Amino acid sequence: MAMRTAEASSAALVRVVAMVAAVAMMAAGRAGAVWVKLPNSGTKCVSEEINAHVVVMGEYSAFYEEDMKDTPTISSKITSPYGNTLHHKENVSSDTFAFTTTESGNYLGCFWVDSNPHGSEVSLNIDWKTGIATKDWETVAKKEKIEGVELELTKLEGLVEAIRENLEYLKTREAEMREVSEKTNAWVAWFSIMALAACICTSLLQLWYLQTYFRKKKLI
Amino acid sequence: MAGEGGGSRALFLMALLLTASLYGVRQASALAISVTDRECVYEYVFYEGDNVSGNFVVVDHEVFWGSDSPGIDFEVTSPAGNVVHSAKGKSGDKFELKGLRAGMYKFCFINPSSVPETVSFYIHVGHIPNEHNLAKDEHLDPVNVKIAELKEGLDSITAEQHYLKAVILGIATVTNESTRRRLLFYTLTEYLALGCVSGLQVLYIRRLFSKSVAYNRV
Repeated sequence: MAMRTAEASSAALVRVVAMVAAVAMMAAGRAGAVWVKLPNSGTKCVSEEINAHVVVMGEYSAFYEEDMKDTPTISSKITSPYGNTLHHKENVSSDTFAFTTTESGNYLGCFWVDSNPHGSEVSLNIDWKTGIATKDWETVAKKEKIEGVELELTKLEGLVEAIRENLEYLKTREAEMREVSEKTNAWVAWFSIMALAACICTSLLQLWYLQTYFRKKKLI
Repeated sequence: MAGEGGGSRALFLMALLLTASLYGVRQASALAISVTDRECVYEYVFYEGDNVSGNFVVVDHEVFWGSDSPGIDFEVTSPAGNVVHSAKGKSGDKFELKGLRAGMYKFCFINPSSVPETVSFYIHVGHIPNEHNLAKDEHLDPVNVKIAELKEGLDSITAEQHYLKAVILGIATVTNESTRRRLLFYTLTEYLALGCVSGLQVLYIRRLFSKSVAYNRV
């Protein structure tokens, strides 16, 4: 009885240490992510609209909703907007991925349950980071030998730069959108004039045809 | 939550909390999911008194005949189980929840219509180490508090940008395309109808003056 408790507690300790190690690798200055529930059958997909040349990093881990000793295994697939598979893994409980985007568009990450021996609900923790959030501040701090307040302010500077870039991108998309709207406007105007011209044309054709017809029938 | 070896999820959260206290927490999630009926997203609030702010935008799909999509309903449930925020029939909204207790918060999107909609959301949990912690923790510099507040301000700008980006991209891609398609369809139908009606008119008038009818009427 005593041995079982000792075994259980040492197993728990090992698991805590493994968890902390995994999470510490994950955190790197940022902890926290979003949780979703995976259905037993069918896939759950998350997506994000990302520009080209942006670093994307992420990790995901699956757990049971009610706490149990083992973990379910899931599979994941991450596809680019053109349909290329960027990351594909089967039968894992937790995994990490990283890639740099080559084209801008909608990046889709899909997850589905592979084995679920307990049959209860599976919770998936997804940590999906893009752009400035992926920057490794530890190496920057070591390289530039900055720390403390200076490091925090450098991080803020990076964030401000990212905000500026985002704004530039929004400006260009908005300009494109305005252009398309104005072209559509021009189409509408041209189509209305064409409709009016078609109307007049049809009525003239009708008049001419009926005149010829009645003359032929000697009614006029 | 007590199991024989502790639950693995509880351990994960504990480990997360440990690392969060070591490294500092910056939580923001920006993703888009497809909502057919009801989709829920969970976010863990580590410290009591944190602010959760965020926004969501419904990226409109095939709006062919109807003028507006009915929007979606949004609900935030606290770990205790009560609904702390709800919005109905919105196609985009911002929310801010203050002074929350720690725990797992549930953010649900409910789609009343049968058409699946894509919802782009951004959830940010902000933590500012406050004066109370200052008293406890001597090596927490007041400058760090100010820097944390500055970071919160910048994060709110990022949240706004995410909202704007989702709205602009939604309009630029989906609405413009659907407008063009509708325009083409309406115009072609109009021309076809015009042609048909004038043809029918001509045929009718001819029939009016045809031999069998004319000698009886004219």
